[in-house]
Amino acid sequence: MSEHLLSATQMAQFVASGYLKFEAMVPRDLCDACLVEMQHNKGYLAVGTPFEQTWPKGTALGDAFRLPQVRGLIHSLVGPDPLYDHHAAHLVKGGVMKGPDMHQDSVIDFRENYFDIQLSLFPADTPDEMGGTFLIPGTQFRNVRTSEITMYQHMRGKIWANCTAGTMYVWNTRVWHGARSNHTNTDRYMYKLRLNPTQPQAGLFDLSDLDNPAVGAALNTNHGWEGNEHRYELMRRVQLWRFVSRQPGYDIGERFLRRREYNPAAA
Amino acid sequence: MAEVQDILVLFQTTPGLDAQVVAWSRYEASKGPGITDLVEEAEPPYRNAMAAMRDGWQVIQMSEMKHRPPGDAAYEDGPLPYQTVLSRFNPMVPDEETAQ
Ligand SMILES: [Fe+2]
Repeated sequence: MSEHLLSATQMAQFVASGYLKFEAMVPRDLCDACLVEMQHNKGYLAVGTPFEQTWPKGTALGDAFRLPQVRGLIHSLVGPDPLYDHHAAHLVKGGVMKGPDMHQDSVIDFRENYFDIQLSLFPADTPDEMGGTFLIPGTQFRNVRTSEITMYQHMRGKIWANCTAGTMYVWNTRVWHGARSNHTNTDRYMYKLRLNPTQPQAGLFDLSDLDNPAVGAALNTNHGWEGNEHRYELMRRVQLWRFVSRQPGYDIGERFLRRREYNPAAA
Repeated sequence: MAEVQDILVLFQTTPGLDAQVVAWSRYEASKGPGITDLVEEAEPPYRNAMAAMRDGWQVIQMSEMKHRPPGDAAYEDGPLPYQTVLSRFNPMVPDEETAQ
């Protein structure tokens, strides 16, 4: 298990950008079997129940989301015993065009020191023209009501899934995202699974490289859209990093959180 | 051909007309009632609102400065804070889908 945990640097990237990409996470033969199962997807299973108990066993999708490398990823972010939230087999049929689609999933969510994850599995090769899901990295701290942000048709920093079969993205469910046009004749699937933590999300990843300078660099990432908001975004990232890394005094650079916290008169 | 109003919205993180554009949207009614296939654009059509004005776009709304609530609520994030709305009239393009 421990060899599959996220490093501190990867965790800092997740805190700052709201997503991580893993190529070749699921072997191709298992992907092929998953793709067949996805085409017969039924509705949600029991929302809010233990994942291990609820998630099917002895199926391709059952196996794919229990691979050791997937378990390590899940453990690092939401702990070893998450709850099943919901899943979906998102389909954009060949030739189906998508207009503006930016949204934040579900409903507005202000929970502090908390995030749900979504695992997105691309079971087939998904080249650019097939329209893989897009994300705006770093937007996970900006709470909005679901689809009102469809008004942002284009945004600096946008990325999208352009990947080989078996690639998995894991993302903070608050990241702004959407679907894209499928300009091929082949149907495009993306299978998503949302999980909730059952314990505080602190110290769950591999803490051995906490002092890596890449951690601070990752937290300070500028994705292109932040502009004058960057230092406010950095404060949010540092707050979450303090919590997940169990370092309540952590800060970087000018240490902006001191502007909220340091005040002899308030002592 | 009748002239129809097109709208370009530039989203910014500071309110000025010379502010960098970080997101942008087109409501080009002259071309149809909506975008059916969004084509990716790595860069905005203009670096700022003033560059758009020099290309014939009229500013019909610019952003007002925000008053921040006192205390920690001032740090809460949400939508992008500022936007400039620009207008230009263009010849109507007949839309095959809407003509039916
Ligand atoms: Fe979504």
